[in-house]
Amino acid sequence: MNKGLISGLVLLTIGIVCGLLLAVVNYFTAPKIQEVEDAIKYEALAEFYTLADYDLSEVEGSGDFGTIYILKAKTTEGLDAFVYTVNAEGYSGVIEMLIAVNENLEVDGYKVVKQTETPGYGDKIVGHDFNVEIATDLSGFEGVAGASLYSTPAVLEIFQLVADRVEADFGGGLSE
Amino acid sequence: MDNLIMLAFSAFIIENIILSQFLGICPFLGVSTKRSSALGMGMAVIFVMLISSSVTWLLYKYVLEAFDITYMRTIVFILVIASLVQMVETFLKKVSPPLYKALGIYLPLITTNCAVLGVAILNISKEHNFLEMLVYTTFIGLGFLFVMYIFSMLREKLDFAPVPKAFKGAPIALVIAAILAIIFSRFGGII
Amino acid sequence: MNNKENFFKGIIKENPLFVSLLGMCPSLAVTTSLENAIGMTLGVFFVLVLSNFIISLIMSNSKLADLVKPVRIPVYIVVIATLVTIVEMVMHAYLPSLYFSLGVFIPLIVVNCIILGRAEAFASSNKPLDSVIDGVGMALGYGLAIMTISIFREFLGNGTLTVWGDLQVNLTFIFDFLKIEPIAMFVQPVGAFLTFGLILATITAIANNHKNKLAKKVANNG
Repeated sequence: MNKGLISGLVLLTIGIVCGLLLAVVNYFTAPKIQEVEDAIKYEALAEFYTLADYDLSEVEGSGDFGTIYILKAKTTEGLDAFVYTVNAEGYSGVIEMLIAVNENLEVDGYKVVKQTETPGYGDKIVGHDFNVEIATDLSGFEGVAGASLYSTPAVLEIFQLVADRVEADFGGGLSE
Repeated sequence: MDNLIMLAFSAFIIENIILSQFLGICPFLGVSTKRSSALGMGMAVIFVMLISSSVTWLLYKYVLEAFDITYMRTIVFILVIASLVQMVETFLKKVSPPLYKALGIYLPLITTNCAVLGVAILNISKEHNFLEMLVYTTFIGLGFLFVMYIFSMLREKLDFAPVPKAFKGAPIALVIAAILAIIFSRFGGII
Repeated sequence: MNNKENFFKGIIKENPLFVSLLGMCPSLAVTTSLENAIGMTLGVFFVLVLSNFIISLIMSNSKLADLVKPVRIPVYIVVIATLVTIVEMVMHAYLPSLYFSLGVFIPLIVVNCIILGRAEAFASSNKPLDSVIDGVGMALGYGLAIMTISIFREFLGNGTLTVWGDLQVNLTFIFDFLKIEPIAMFVQPVGAFLTFGLILATITAIANNHKNKLAKKVANNG
């Protein structure tokens, strides 16, 4: 056999061995990675509500909406709530936020769960407090505008999207 | 359309690949001593970046994601880039000798240029669609060329400047890059 | 060259970052905090030591080396990319906050010139043990260099030094004492270029000074 072919085969073999190795590592880390991603999401939910007080269910959203979490209060005094996962184009990629809205159409809280800004430069959006007090009712959505220089339009868009559909959802459309 | 213009502008200036993302620093310092070589390197990078980002994007969407082996991303991407660079080199040599003469010597350097792999990965992690990927890659490449060219002009002048001995070479180049970075970061306020 | 020299050359004489100017991109990007620099060092350490070991293992077997020679660069790349992907997956699973703050620079360890450079320049023509020592020295040299940069940047820009997670030293009282704010510019891209440039200049000045002294000594003795 000629030398080039053998070298090619050697490269191929090494490639396959490496691929298999990765598959094995992936087999062990993939569930853990999924757990980590979930943890980030549920950790965010836990910031808004005491999860033990609610029955939690999920609905896949469409369009700009990702998963929508439906929280039904276990006791009669508690309010039911929706937590929306919403995506919008930031100035450099997708920004994903969670927005918690309760029965009285008040925003109970919000959190950025994913953003793809440059490290060190665009991190502002995550660390920044979006002035939570100002944005407690839906009419005050512009209140969060001071958030971050570059990402404000995307954040506003997210709130607008939620404002546009939240009433319909509480009207019974989504509560199943 | 608005989104694409925004994307193009931020890729070109605000998110400038060299001055704010720190990719492609090696050629930025290494090949920027003369204007002609800065131009050549910049062109070669745009060329390779566009081809490799397109190929890797398609491979990722239609092969890696389809077979659920996205963890092979890094290996596949770097191999694609390395072999593409080889192919482009051979192809240019045969088809267009003048272009080969202009870009040829920069091509081998590009395999280990982190800008090319970086942009391929960024296009995936930012979840760009095909059109956005093309616009983003083109303008990131143009941003690279633009900054390389400005920088090479400054460095040509620098040859005649009385630079302190300890600052000769890389240190003064980095300080100049810092000043350029201040200017570019101020454009962030536009959006 | 004995083991000790082999080890220390990576840290001082042939420091990959400050002397050879290799691996600049990540060293500018991830030095916004000491914690990021330490995380990056861990990644580079793992990849460099193992890639040096595996590659010298392959290349020191003369039969295998003959077969691999024509395709050695792709082989190196495959080995390195595999190791990098392992680092990426493990970090994502067990150190998620670090994973998200290092971002695209983890997969980019693949094209970090230090790793391919050591594979070609050292590991391909030396014994496995020597290659491991070389890898450890080089990775530590690189790590110390980026940690130095990040200490300056985090302290000047933020007033803190974050070693790992909650283990953080708050030094803002120094700024309070001087009645100034931390200089945020230093954690922005500007600060990366400026800090690196100034450190390099300082090192050059020290090296020049040292050389002059040596030259004088030689002249006096002669």
